Amino acid sequence: MTGETRAMVDRTRDARRPADRGALLAVVATLLCCTVGLAFIPAASAKREHSKSSKSEATKTSRHEAAKAGGGEAPAVSSGEASAAQEAPGAQEASSAQEETSEGTSQEAAGAPGAATGDAAGAATGKHKGSGHKGSEHKGSEHKKGSGKSKEKEASEPPKSKEGTSGAPAGSGTVGAGAPAPTLATAAAVAPAPAPAIATVAVPSAPTAAPTVTAAKSGLGGSTRTAHRPPRARRTAAAPQHPTGTPSSRAVLGASSSRATLAHKPRRARAVALGRRTTGRSSPLVTTITRIVDVVPTALRVLVVGLLALALLLALVLAVRSRLSARRMRRLERQRAELREDVGLLQAALLPAIPARLGVVDTSTAYQPAAGPGAGGDFYDVFALADGRLAVIVGDVSGHGRKALPHTALVRFTLRAYLEAGLSPRDTLQTAGAVLERQLSGVFATVVVAIYKPRERVLVYACAGHPPPIVIGAGADLGTDARALAPITVCAAPPLGVGARTGTRQTTVALPGRAQLCFYTDGLTEARVGAELFGSSRLIDTLAELGPRTTASALLARVSERADARPDDMAACLLGVAGDERAPAVLLEQLELDREDAASERTERFLLACGVAPRAAAEAIAAAGAAVAGGGTVVLELRHSGAGPEVALQREQLSYIHARRASAEVAL
Amino acid sequence: MRTQAGSTDSSQSTHTAFAIGRQDLDARTSVIAVAGELDLATAPELKWTLLDALEEGHSQLILDLSGTSFMDSTALGVLVGVNRSFEQGGTLAIVCAHAGVLKIFELSGVDGVFAILPTLEDALAAVRARAGHGAHVAEAG
Repeated sequence: MTGETRAMVDRTRDARRPADRGALLAVVATLLCCTVGLAFIPAASAKREHSKSSKSEATKTSRHEAAKAGGGEAPAVSSGEASAAQEAPGAQEASSAQEETSEGTSQEAAGAPGAATGDAAGAATGKHKGSGHKGSEHKGSEHKKGSGKSKEKEASEPPKSKEGTSGAPAGSGTVGAGAPAPTLATAAAVAPAPAPAIATVAVPSAPTAAPTVTAAKSGLGGSTRTAHRPPRARRTAAAPQHPTGTPSSRAVLGASSSRATLAHKPRRARAVALGRRTTGRSSPLVTTITRIVDVVPTALRVLVVGLLALALLLALVLAVRSRLSARRMRRLERQRAELREDVGLLQAALLPAIPARLGVVDTSTAYQPAAGPGAGGDFYDVFALADGRLAVIVGDVSGHGRKALPHTALVRFTLRAYLEAGLSPRDTLQTAGAVLERQLSGVFATVVVAIYKPRERVLVYACAGHPPPIVIGAGADLGTDARALAPITVCAAPPLGVGARTGTRQTTVALPGRAQLCFYTDGLTEARVGAELFGSSRLIDTLAELGPRTTASALLARVSERADARPDDMAACLLGVAGDERAPAVLLEQLELDREDAASERTERFLLACGVAPRAAAEAIAAAGAAVAGGGTVVLELRHSGAGPEVALQREQLSYIHARRASAEVAL
Repeated sequence: MRTQAGSTDSSQSTHTAFAIGRQDLDARTSVIAVAGELDLATAPELKWTLLDALEEGHSQLILDLSGTSFMDSTALGVLVGVNRSFEQGGTLAIVCAHAGVLKIFELSGVDGVFAILPTLEDALAAVRARAGHGAHVAEAG
């Protein structure tokens, strides 16, 4: 039963794994959707904005103009950067990059699709041509880079900025000449390299600073712009005509830069060259995506966004579902745990708690279900009878699992009732065999029933298809195993419920000294050690190793440890009797015979095994045959005293069984 | 004479491979030979083989355990159950000479319940004698 439950739990665990995987998948899908969605949506919206709002167009134009300006090829850059800085000084570089990209795109859209951004812008404005456009292109590419990898750029560009100043003195120079700011710009351009760190700080500076940035940019990369904060400030001061405090820095920029541009057209050319170089550095992937997005019609874009939203929804649904299934699994697992507990309680009801000491006898019991389908069916009971006597029942019902439980209870309580009523072990088994035959309906039970009489220091036991108890004493004259009393197994009584008369054998053992009694089920002896059975001799060895004070649980633990496989339940009951060094000995063997048994060679074997001489055995069998010739049964008794066994015949006296047989005979 | 293929159980790889073979000697007599160990795993197969033979009208069954080295309580349960179903007519004889298996029969007290014989010839003779006796009883009744 436990094995089954365990397997179920395992299955549950297995089933839960895919659910987890589903959740993970859902999360990944969601993230992917989010990323792609974010990349698409701003682009689309920017495009829409560009095509629809005239105001934005105007702004752009101004920017383009700025781009064209000689000193301010960068202006556009600066404006873009400024805006980027304003919008997202820190982590939103990406978004600013997108914005800039969109800007570039819009310009491109206005002009020829294949043409450079700068050209497109030029076409759109219509005012500036040739090199001027290139300036704007330059700006576009720089934007991307600047915002996308602003810091990286800052670090890598200083050399370039220098190059710009030196290689194109006109660039910075021009700016300086054309406008009041230019001078400052030059200074800035030179300065940048030594202090790239400042650059970062410079970006988020107030809108007013933007123009300055423009100036710096015109000549060089992003690094330059950063370095130019002081120039900027000065510039703003120097050019009061530009409203420093204007809320829209871009507009301001545009105006100022455009002016500068107009004044310094020659610079543009150089800037263009620079720009081209920069364009080469811009990520082709971004450009490609930008172009693709551009070509895609608005309806399709909406569709894509819709699909993405759907995917997102799906991912969410999946996540929720996996979460729900995980919860359901948890609940199932909990229910199984409860079920297992219930089964444990049920088993405990069948396997009563036994006090550690009953009267003068140390008692211990243990049960260990098989690790598999063989679990269930074993039972035991130990209880005190009147006069301080102690009764023990250990048995095993055929069949396993749940189905064995009712029969287990039936057999145990029936046997207990007869023992409590005062029947001897053999009479108990015989009566129970006759009574339970019908009720067991095909199931059979092997049982050992015993009564220990402390006053007489005698153990009386009877088996029905069950292994006899192991009796370990102190003496050396115990039997073949030299440690335990050797039981006689010939003519063992059959189990309860096999349709045969049982309760035919009983053994009485004297326990004058210290002794240990072990009642067990065949699960112990049928455990496997390699290809072999554990066997009773290994069991005796194990008991001897554990010593007289050991418990049943310790015994089962040791057997489990030594065995490689346990296909059946194991139940054990140990009784410890204190005393001196005198060895236990068999006092009396009883065998009930009917007419057929009396004629069987088994009876002869039994007598011989008990140590009866062949001649005496033949005489005893003849006498028994004569006694049962007219029906009924007779009990053969072998009393062991000092010398050889004495054989005697006793008439069966169990009234219930006789009455039952008599009625059966009448019916025939 | 009809021969049915035996089945094998590979799960018993650590022990002798388990196999059951059935041979029908005549319309009423069937010999079922078991090799390997009869335990919790293999006993059900024995049960179905015996019941199949019974359903096909073979009332005289001989169970040959010559190749069997071990038998547990589950297998005993199968034999007891089949033996009981014979109460309405039919006989079961067991061929067994293996000391260990004989000991199991003895320990469980069912050696008196079954007809256990050392050889197949003895078992055949016993089954036919009992069948003849049964027929004789039936005639008398």
